Amino acid sequence: MKKGLIIAIIIAAILLISGISTYNSLVTQKETVDSKISEIDVQLKRRSDLIPNLVNTVKGLMKHEKSIVDSVTEARSALVNASSTAEKLEANTKLTEAINNLYVVVENYPDIKANANFISLQDEIAGTENRIAYARSEYNKVAKEYNTKVKRFPTNIFANILGFDKVEYFEATGAEKEPVNVNFD
Amino acid sequence: MLTLIKRIILFFSLLIPINANAIVNQTYDFYVNDSANILSQETEKYIVEKSSSLYKYNGSQIVVVTVKDLEGMSIETYATTLFNNWKIGDKEKNNGLLLLLALNEREFRVEVGSGLEGILPDGKTGRYQDNYLIPYLKENKWDDGIKSLYDAFYNDLSSIENIEEYTPADFNKLNKSITTLIIIIIIFIIFIKIKFNDNPLISSYGRGFSSRSYRDFGSSGSFSSHSSGGFSGGGRSSGGGSTRRF
Repeated sequence: MKKGLIIAIIIAAILLISGISTYNSLVTQKETVDSKISEIDVQLKRRSDLIPNLVNTVKGLMKHEKSIVDSVTEARSALVNASSTAEKLEANTKLTEAINNLYVVVENYPDIKANANFISLQDEIAGTENRIAYARSEYNKVAKEYNTKVKRFPTNIFANILGFDKVEYFEATGAEKEPVNVNFD
Repeated sequence: MLTLIKRIILFFSLLIPINANAIVNQTYDFYVNDSANILSQETEKYIVEKSSSLYKYNGSQIVVVTVKDLEGMSIETYATTLFNNWKIGDKEKNNGLLLLLALNEREFRVEVGSGLEGILPDGKTGRYQDNYLIPYLKENKWDDGIKSLYDAFYNDLSSIENIEEYTPADFNKLNKSITTLIIIIIIFIIFIKIKFNDNPLISSYGRGFSSRSYRDFGSSGSFSSHSSGGFSGGGRSSGGGSTRRF
């Protein structure tokens, strides 16, 4: 009788301890996932903050290209107003298109092209774009690890009880996709 | 028979990731890898000596890499991957800087460790390339271009002193492993006590539990398998910097 009680206590203790450790590791991993999302958000914010400077730099010199400049401003406000990170990323893709259209037109304006301020802004905007791409791939990496853990036995039992759901991936779309050049040599 | 062998070879070749060795490796000198073979001995020596003294002075690292081609990657992806593979710069301060030249693509990238982004914003790195590098590279003067760009960054980085303190031990991790050890010892003691009762059923249960929980706790700490070749400090880049064509 006494032995049975001891065994029961040990089983309960071990279940509790492994439950706690599973919970803790899930919390840690979920936090990593969330921190990667906020990194994407930070870079998106940084990018949207650069756009007004860009617009102001080119506006005065490109009076005949108002629609192109306006489309950049519009794409920017769509990004600012987007709520979820997925929506923001989608808005950012459209913003990239609008900026690229602007750059094409700028080719006809040697004054702007040689403007130090414009060149610097171009670098900053390209830099944030690259950081967004990097932050997104880092996010996808940790999201995959987390999702695998949530789905795998026996963690999935605890994950279900404790309410840990799998998270979505942020796939690259359209122009942002990396060109795939397979080399067989 | 021959086709069977061919098939087997094909099957195994498919298992090998295509881009496994695409990124160039660190060299013994760490600060230079001239895999495109366009730099003179003097330039390489110049960079290694200056980078070594800079590293001693404030812990920041400038690495110069030239490659023949980018294996189909974008120069941005290549640079960030190389930067984080080599772990350029200090682990805490992320104060590494990578100057990467791709010969076939005629592209150059300055990749900035995330800790240096304040001193070297993207716009500045682009301007430095325009002023100190591109005019030379357009005439294929590799040594002159890379030296003059290197000097510009060297002057910036050598003007900052060692500000931040390096924090050596990771206390949280230490605490965690001590707790794990204590739990293991407690379980071990319980297991031994039960075993002394000489009941085969109970003792086998005990063994089962003990090994199970050992694995659960033990696997929480993973070891890094990165083999560091001399000087790499564990620094990271989050994709900052600028790119130029020449």
